[in-house]
Amino acid sequence: MMCRAGQQSGPYGADDEEAANASFAALLEDGAEELYENAPCGYLSTLLDGTVVKINATLLGWLGLEREEVVGRMRFTDLLTVGGKLYHETHFAPLLRMRGEIGGIALEMKQAGDKRMPVLVSSAVKHGEGGQPLLIRTTVFDARDRRAYEEELLRARKAAEEARRQAEADRARLQQALAVLQRSLLPDTLPAIPGMETAAHYRTASPDRLGGDFYDVFPLGGTRFAFFLGDVCGKGPEAAAVTSLTRYTLRAAALHDPDPVSVLATLNEVLHERYTGGDPRYCTVVFGIVDPDPESGRAAVRIASGGHPPALVLRADGRADFLPTPGGLLVGIMPAASFATAATTLAPGDALLLYTDGLTEARTGEDRTALYGDAALRAFAADHAGEPPGAVMKALADLLDGFGDGLDDDTALLALGVPSRPAPGPATKNTP
Amino acid sequence: MSALKIVTRDAATGPVLELLGELDYATAPELRDVLATVTLRPGQRLVMDLAGMEFCDSSGLTALIIARNHAHAARADIALAAVPARTLRLMNIAGLDQIFSLHPDSDVATRP
Repeated sequence: MMCRAGQQSGPYGADDEEAANASFAALLEDGAEELYENAPCGYLSTLLDGTVVKINATLLGWLGLEREEVVGRMRFTDLLTVGGKLYHETHFAPLLRMRGEIGGIALEMKQAGDKRMPVLVSSAVKHGEGGQPLLIRTTVFDARDRRAYEEELLRARKAAEEARRQAEADRARLQQALAVLQRSLLPDTLPAIPGMETAAHYRTASPDRLGGDFYDVFPLGGTRFAFFLGDVCGKGPEAAAVTSLTRYTLRAAALHDPDPVSVLATLNEVLHERYTGGDPRYCTVVFGIVDPDPESGRAAVRIASGGHPPALVLRADGRADFLPTPGGLLVGIMPAASFATAATTLAPGDALLLYTDGLTEARTGEDRTALYGDAALRAFAADHAGEPPGAVMKALADLLDGFGDGLDDDTALLALGVPSRPAPGPATKNTP
Repeated sequence: MSALKIVTRDAATGPVLELLGELDYATAPELRDVLATVTLRPGQRLVMDLAGMEFCDSSGLTALIIARNHAHAARADIALAAVPARTLRLMNIAGLDQIFSLHPDSDVATRP
């Protein structure tokens, strides 16, 4: 206690205050030079040419130098690393000359043992009474902790960037794999059928999701071609696996026996054997054979349907009619199933249109509650009856575009038509 | 909140499942889960009462086919009651009207 004995005073009396001030003063008095030398930062003063004239013990300690080898012998820049020196010359010194002071600049100083020490440097020019510059005062703060923190941030950012890059690469790889798989589900191009024109369109409801719709056209030998279009129940990779199995089974079965009902019966057997019980996988499919006759310019079509919406026939005169196939059962749910057949003949200007229910089940109307439906599709088809398959397909693609987010499901479309005018190729010379 | 509610009750012919709401991709698993808890004895009839079913898509039809497989595995029968017109149209296209016995309502469907 610094209180004098016998004197009355409260705990915060004037005497106490005086005593405290006295003790602070004593500490401060102790400190002026001591503070300069051992402050928690480095101090140095240099001439305008950079020659060190004064430097404190803290900074000497950091740099591992003796006062004698520095003062009057070294310039400030001699204390810096090569990088620090360069930055000093190009940025620090010019700015200091221009402004008279500069603060918080990150530099690197040389430490004993070839080590480098990150520091934050502030400098101010001291002017004489006449305003002429006399010397430069500089404080140096230890930035090792800060640098470590920054490096940690940088490392974390690099790690995050690496993770993001990796994720993007993974995503790209996955999308590529999906695209390759998707191509295994759908033909890249349709084979040219002499005397006929074909067009197809596939619309996925979601780009990341493998579709469950499929179609294909392939030659059967002679003038005949087989075609099919269908829809596997469900979505995602499981559905895609069924789609792939379905497509190759249909192709293989058709080469063995192209009768449409036989082909569907084979597929039914394969799917039912493969998927049964609590995880039934089935599909709806229309399989058909088209046999264009170059003599008459007409093409005979026979189809079989397993649970698939009826095909549409667009006639050259502007009519559009469903080709009903009632009673054909979904393919794959029963050990033995019955399939419905239908036949028609396409004359020049006629076309057969196959579609999946993504089209007819598209939600329409402002509140997206109405369904597009069979009647609207038939009317739309009638509007485009007589047009070549490519033009019909273009119109349907535009129609699908117009549904926007009303499309819940994938949609596959396939049209086969007989050109109204002679097409180039084998049909030309035989057209009556 | 589920778009599908399933009420189970017992009739003389066996269990009756009343489906209320939407049977689609999102809710079909719920029907599967309920089916797993339904005990069927050989010769019984599982009745699916669809009078309150507002919507049924291809996933819903799949769930009905699973119900049929479930019934047949127990050597029981299955019947659909009060199939809504739109669902009936889908079932006609898919040929499913051939493999389910259809009844106008659950009273008829539960007649021994």
